[in-house]
Amino acid sequence: MNEECREVLDRLEIYLDGETQFDLEVAIQHHLQDCPPCLDRAEFERELRALVAAKCRDCAPPGLLARIRIRLTAVG
Amino acid sequence: MPSGTVRQELTDDQRREVFARDALPYLDPLYSAALRYTRNPADAEDLVQETFAKAYRAFHQYEPGTNLRAWLYRILANTYINSYRKRQRQPAPVSVDAHRDGLSDGSDFSLYDRIAATTQAPAEVEFLRQLPDDEVKQALADLPEQFRMAVYLADVEGFSYAEIAEIMDSPIGTVMSRLHRGRAALHRALYDYAAARGLLPATTDDAGGSSDDE
Repeated sequence: MNEECREVLDRLEIYLDGETQFDLEVAIQHHLQDCPPCLDRAEFERELRALVAAKCRDCAPPGLLARIRIRLTAVG
Repeated sequence: MPSGTVRQELTDDQRREVFARDALPYLDPLYSAALRYTRNPADAEDLVQETFAKAYRAFHQYEPGTNLRAWLYRILANTYINSYRKRQRQPAPVSVDAHRDGLSDGSDFSLYDRIAATTQAPAEVEFLRQLPDDEVKQALADLPEQFRMAVYLADVEGFSYAEIAEIMDSPIGTVMSRLHRGRAALHRALYDYAAARGLLPATTDDAGGSSDDE
């Protein structure tokens, strides 16, 4: 791991959040293309988030939508 | 503003129709978020009902074309804080200690490094897929509220920093810090759940076992 790797990994979280400035985003993309270890880590973090997202979604219980519609009529 | 004028000219029925069309499709994600806030289904149902009732009453203040989803989440957050937070029993979660904001300091934890150190190979998330949904939800539920919601809004709902700052009424820097520390705590908990189930990748040598010391 070199200096550039360290700089990329320091900013990886913000990069994966899609919150880096355009220039930096492009620089990180280029580094990841050329650096398999950093790319591995980026992929891991991305998949980890996707996994958490997939396992933490719930659907509203049946009947709730109907109850809300009735309540809106009353609020009206 | 023309759209405001139009909105005021709507009859009650029309207004209800527009609200039902635009806002009610967010029922499932809002219920899911409510469940993360309250951590129990009965309160989550009440919270969501109240959120939609409030949003409907305030719908004339919503500017058409702006971020309706974030606007609804903001109302959900405020409703929770005003009506539910006080009632929440806080069973001391494992990650809470005497630290002033309720999250023990483990912000350097990296699941990737932990697994890579065990297997001597690039880490894979595959082993976590076998974790039951309930345990992942529980790991998230055990985080203190501010960390839990920042992570939920970013990683599950995909909100931007600016949107989360708006929803949680916090500065962006605070959101970023909560996200970073909240994720580290969540990933540590996932590691522990996976270890308890024997799901961790096999070690390449039998030298040290899987002790927790660094």
